[in-house]
Amino acid sequence: MIKLALITCLSLAPLGAQELKIPASLDRLAAKATEVVDVTMDANLLQLAGRFLSDKNPDDAQVKKLIEGLKGIYVRSFEFAKQGEYQDSDVEPVRAQLHTPAWSRIVGVRSQKSNENSEVYVKTGNGKIGGLAILVTEPKQLTIVSIEGSIDPDQLGQLGGHFGIPKIDTRKETGHGKDE
Amino acid sequence: MQDFEQQLRDALARKEQPPYFEAKVLAATRRQPKPVFLRWAFATASALLIAAGIWTDHRAGIQAKEQLELALRVTVTELGKVQRTVRASTEEE
Amino acid sequence: MPTAGAATEANVECPPNMTFAELLRANQSMVFSLAYHFLRDRGAAEEVAQDVFLRLHGKLDDLADSRHVVFWLRKVTSHRCIDYARKRGSQFTIALDDTSEPSVASQPGDPLLNRRLQQLIAALPEKPRMVMVLRYQEDLTPEEISEVLEMPVRTVKSHLHRSLAMLREKIERSMGDIR
Repeated sequence: MIKLALITCLSLAPLGAQELKIPASLDRLAAKATEVVDVTMDANLLQLAGRFLSDKNPDDAQVKKLIEGLKGIYVRSFEFAKQGEYQDSDVEPVRAQLHTPAWSRIVGVRSQKSNENSEVYVKTGNGKIGGLAILVTEPKQLTIVSIEGSIDPDQLGQLGGHFGIPKIDTRKETGHGKDE
Repeated sequence: MQDFEQQLRDALARKEQPPYFEAKVLAATRRQPKPVFLRWAFATASALLIAAGIWTDHRAGIQAKEQLELALRVTVTELGKVQRTVRASTEEE
Repeated sequence: MPTAGAATEANVECPPNMTFAELLRANQSMVFSLAYHFLRDRGAAEEVAQDVFLRLHGKLDDLADSRHVVFWLRKVTSHRCIDYARKRGSQFTIALDDTSEPSVASQPGDPLLNRRLQQLIAALPEKPRMVMVLRYQEDLTPEEISEVLEMPVRTVKSHLHRSLAMLREKIERSMGDIR
């Protein structure tokens, strides 16, 4: 499903190459959260990390290949003890950036049952993916992931089962147009 | 009771500071006025550090690698959630 | 078996007359970790730890020699953390990367239990909390904790005793019996 949407997007050539900026205002949610993941890795840090990935270790080599074209990885994830600790207005500055021509939404789905809203965006230019953004809002959790640079989502999926990363369920999607 | 105390030691095992911490503190001290002899001591220490070639800090690299793994873990986990949400949404229809 | 993060002899006794940079490198883990386990907030821990080292930088002339620095660092860090927590109020964040993952280097013990203990310790009032952190992160004796926190030894022992009893009871209730 994601792959099909990506292929569609690669044929688009939106203008601009705006990087997703995670607003500093989100950091105040950390005070209310019971768990926080805060990762900020620019190109220098990624390069540094890459130097400590061994070509001889297959897992490391896989990650090294994935990050080759990356310029940055930014993660903010907040888990709260109860609902209502963050508002839509907290997320709006992020959504506003993603609703610009540089970004294309490839997945947008809301689960009524669990009141989760999941969105995946890609930034494309010259027929290539230049960035990936994931925005998942749940009643007690908010996660924003921004990956800048050339990324192959298939390679991301292949990381499942290594480094303690759960495998993504790779059951094939059947039918078209039902998933969004 | 001894086992419980060991569990407490495990839970409170030292956490590593961020990889940039040392450099950040040293940079901040440069903005502080300091006595001349301390400047000399610091300059000497810096020269030794550079001479030893330890700007490429092994620990900083390991921490960067761990941060990267954490970021990828969250990314893949969230993508998995998205997949499941999509599937659940499809089934709801 | 001490982990990479445990207190070591090398950190308890610094060679005399180390430079500031050497003292920073030797002790940054201890200071940051004290602040982190107390405040349960990486950003706040970083802020406090940096502040402590900047104070050390200004104070280095007054400290007899490097061997006194460790004591000074523990004392100042402890007091700064308590002040910080009191100003900020009782809100804690727990970094997700504390939870053990196979690829993250060495947090010993049961990750779930570790996390639960960390949460429970973080919920203690400030003084007993710092007593626990100094005891179980730094392996200080009650007498040493008493000097660091400028608190009577009897009070330190009382905090330890009550906190241990409370933690045991809560852990047993939430996770089943432990030995």
